Amino acid sequence: MSHPPKRTLPVRVLLEDTRGALQLELVNGIDEGPLPITVTDIHRPGLALAGFMQNYLNERIQVLGETEILYLNTRTEDVRREAVARLMSVPVPCIIVTRSLEIPNELLQSATQHGVPVLRSVMLTTPFIHELTKYLDDRFAPTTEVHATLVDVYGVGLLFTGRSGIGKSEIALDLVERGHRLVADDTVHVTKIADDVLIGKGNHHLRHYMEIRGIGVINVQDLFGIRAVRVQKRIEVEVLLEDWDTKKDWNRSGLDDRTASILGVDIPQVGIPLFPGKNITVISEVIAMNHMLKVYGVNAAEKFNSLLIDVMQSDRQTKQYLRYDTE
Amino acid sequence: MVEFTKQVGNKIGLHLRAAGEFVKIAAQFTSEVRVYHGDRYANGKSILGLASLAAARGANVRIEIEGPDEAAARKALEALFDAKFYEE
Repeated sequence: MSHPPKRTLPVRVLLEDTRGALQLELVNGIDEGPLPITVTDIHRPGLALAGFMQNYLNERIQVLGETEILYLNTRTEDVRREAVARLMSVPVPCIIVTRSLEIPNELLQSATQHGVPVLRSVMLTTPFIHELTKYLDDRFAPTTEVHATLVDVYGVGLLFTGRSGIGKSEIALDLVERGHRLVADDTVHVTKIADDVLIGKGNHHLRHYMEIRGIGVINVQDLFGIRAVRVQKRIEVEVLLEDWDTKKDWNRSGLDDRTASILGVDIPQVGIPLFPGKNITVISEVIAMNHMLKVYGVNAAEKFNSLLIDVMQSDRQTKQYLRYDTE
Repeated sequence: MVEFTKQVGNKIGLHLRAAGEFVKIAAQFTSEVRVYHGDRYANGKSILGLASLAAARGANVRIEIEGPDEAAARKALEALFDAKFYEE
């Protein structure tokens, strides 16, 4: 089900997606450049304008701030023309000018001739670059869809997986009833936003609708109110629901942690055997709390075990000493 | 009912992980498994019970198994002791 990350971004889509956040306007009416946007990095071409062409990273979005525009404006017309020509000597995806600065004619003309979109934002350069990078990171992040239910339990994102019909939705409903928050049911859209961070959200249209066998489709937000739902949540633990099987190797000690891999990110996986009458809701809450304890450095299983090993050792030493002279 | 005595052979004794291996095997059989260490008793299907026996290396534990599959259970548990709980 995993599909590769979207590898190219047309300027048209950039404009549509960021209308509010980046406040961009298209200055020369060209919304598709000679190169699509393919990387999340941004380039400021000051040195290229000044004539240093090594390491001119033309495949990136070119952002011109006050410094670059001031440089152009303080050159003679010929020098300005040459500087712009250097910038346009290789294809670039687009040019963005910040701070609502006036765009030098030579730059606008040359870009239009080369079919390069020219955009302008009212934002200051540094905040603009931060916002743009945030958007590009998100846009180019690897994504996948998993058949699962995601619930925020005490602030821990629990991803319930298991065969269809095992009761993922029912467990989520029970957790919601106890004050926890549903993120997504049935299909969870997962985005890897950093090397070790997965964010899960629901389908945009199906948001917080849920199917309960025997009842049909319900809307969790309408039934339980806004406190019962949230839009997205970091996925922290996978809870794999399985049919009860006496022969299976259930984790009994808690010393050996299993992990599951989603988009190359390893997260702890807890396999829970199910049988009628078992209160999986309370177990889910314990999984969430135990995970938080581990995050804070408290591992109950390890603590118990080291206590036990200490006891066994001191027992032995005492016995050795009192071998022939029991007190 | 079958009954036998085994010595705990692994270095750190019957700690939590070793107890986990024990219950995993014991739970596969329907027979009742009782474990004795000195005057202490534990149900062989309870991990915390087994751990609280605090049976260190060299300790002798007596095991009683009672039920329809007691012979097979004995064989499996003896093998676990012989393998030193897969730890060494």
